[in-house]
Amino acid sequence: MLFKIAWRNIWRNRTRSLVVIAAVAVGLFAGMFIMAFFQGAINQEIDSMVQTQLSHIQFHNPAFIDDKGVNDTIANGHAIVNRLKKDPDVRAASGRLITTGMISSSSTASGVEIHGVVPEDEKSVSSISKDVIEGTYFTGDRKNEIVMGEKLALKLGMKLHNKIVLTFQSKTGDLTAGSFRIAGIFRSRNSSFDQMTVFTRFDDLAEILGTTTEMHEIAVVLKDGQKSDAVAGGLKREYPSLLVQTWTELSPQMALLSSIMDQMMYIIIGIILLALMFGIINTMLMAVLERQREFGMLMAIGMNKPRVFMMIVLESVMLTCAGVPAGILFTALTVGSLAKHGIDLSAFSQALSQYGFSNFIYPVLKQSMFVPVSLMTALTAVLSAIYPAIKALRFKPAEAIHKI
Amino acid sequence: MSNIIESKGLSKTYNPDTIPVHAVNNVDLAVEEGEFTALVGPSGSGKTTLLNLIGGLDYPTGGKVMIEGVDITKMSENKLIDFRLKNIGFVFQAYNLIPVLTASENVEFVMLLQKTSKSQREKRAIELLTEVGLKDKLDKRPSELSGGQQQRVAVARALASKPRFILADEPTANLDSASTENLLDIMAKLNKEDNMTFIFSTHDQRVIDKARRVVTLVDGKIVSDTKK
Repeated sequence: MLFKIAWRNIWRNRTRSLVVIAAVAVGLFAGMFIMAFFQGAINQEIDSMVQTQLSHIQFHNPAFIDDKGVNDTIANGHAIVNRLKKDPDVRAASGRLITTGMISSSSTASGVEIHGVVPEDEKSVSSISKDVIEGTYFTGDRKNEIVMGEKLALKLGMKLHNKIVLTFQSKTGDLTAGSFRIAGIFRSRNSSFDQMTVFTRFDDLAEILGTTTEMHEIAVVLKDGQKSDAVAGGLKREYPSLLVQTWTELSPQMALLSSIMDQMMYIIIGIILLALMFGIINTMLMAVLERQREFGMLMAIGMNKPRVFMMIVLESVMLTCAGVPAGILFTALTVGSLAKHGIDLSAFSQALSQYGFSNFIYPVLKQSMFVPVSLMTALTAVLSAIYPAIKALRFKPAEAIHKI
Repeated sequence: MSNIIESKGLSKTYNPDTIPVHAVNNVDLAVEEGEFTALVGPSGSGKTTLLNLIGGLDYPTGGKVMIEGVDITKMSENKLIDFRLKNIGFVFQAYNLIPVLTASENVEFVMLLQKTSKSQREKRAIELLTEVGLKDKLDKRPSELSGGQQQRVAVARALASKPRFILADEPTANLDSASTENLLDIMAKLNKEDNMTFIFSTHDQRVIDKARRVVTLVDGKIVSDTKK
């Protein structure tokens, strides 16, 4: 009956209770939506980095990581790529030659990272081929083709089919150069990457560098990205002389960002609930003070203090938690819809692309957050009830009964 | 007959350190089981304060209250709440029902506090409300009942815990003549047939006329005690 009384008491002042319920619902919606937005943005960023740069696992010569030396290669790279392609956990593997150099047009020059790739393999591990907006991604057998980012092309004042010169250090340490024709221009989500990276065919770059079967990097995409650590562990044991790293090791800042999202969510929800707590305390305090005579009567006829306390806590919990389903439902519907259609932030596209974020953010709502958020709200309700309940327990029945 | 209530040298003084107000002043009162006693006197004479002290709703500043030989003035607040639940029924001037509960639920509530089973609670609530003539109002909330009907629910609620006696503070003050008459008949019947002890404060001459003992208070002191 205490539940019944508590529930009915909430609706004695319908407007006041609805304001609190709406505040809780909107507060939870705001907190969960913000987190879904950031979670979606970070997931997209991670996906983008995995698809364009990191892949799930990478192999390197351990010395390559420090200074990207031309000679810091994986000697038997092709054999490893062929072995990886047969691994049941691996979806695709691609070997790369990587060097830094200068790209020059007739009017200007710029520093770039040159990636020599096998297009057929690279298409399976990288999304760059899908980001080509002009021309093609290495079709046909023409030699010395290059694919570059739109931003770099604009900087160099170059167009499709124009010729550029790449200058870099060869395997023997000499400065060497090659002339390339622009076969394709791409635009990825990350404008910094677009400005700093160009792609050539593996064999074309190997010829100028003076390498044969060596590689600088092997990129591996798994069928299930969640297995990165387990698969990488096996590969580390199989190739102890090579540096085998997962994307979380290659980009620890992204891994950290992803892992702290949950903590961020609890902090943001906690702050929102803290603010709501004052509203709930105010409402409960008003309810208690308005019903002084009733509490006096309850204590007079034999309702003990723990029961009075419990009744007020129940009222507070019911009042507060009534907003939780509404908040969760509203968030789920909103995020569910936006997860399909995305949030258009093209007005901020320039700033977003500098940090590698897409113009469209697809929020992601973790269902696992519903239970802890509900428990946090219930705890807020209990804490909010303490002061009003203590106030009620201090009423003297003989005095309270005669309050108007 | 044995005394069910006994006060000795009972006093309640407000503002003892500034301007003392002796609401109840050295009252000796003994009430036997089955009495139908009216406390009368002008406003401010101490009727309500005396009822509060006898009912354990307030602590005296002097003297003691014995309920069937137990000194309730020595009890802690929590023990007093439990004692009231088991031994005393209350009827208040302003009815003081729980507005969100029906008549039946209001009566059941006291039994719930006593941890009576649901089936027994429902059965007794119906019996008591039938006894006070409200069988057809079981599911009505206080706001749907007249003042007289609400006060009869309050009497049923007071009886629900099977108390040793009932204290009623001006129970007819807010009622019209017909409701007053009706309520008095019910209280008198309960007193006569069930030997239920009633002590009530009142200004109402019709109530005084029905009482079998009239205790008159002036300035916190008993000035007359008449048994009819």
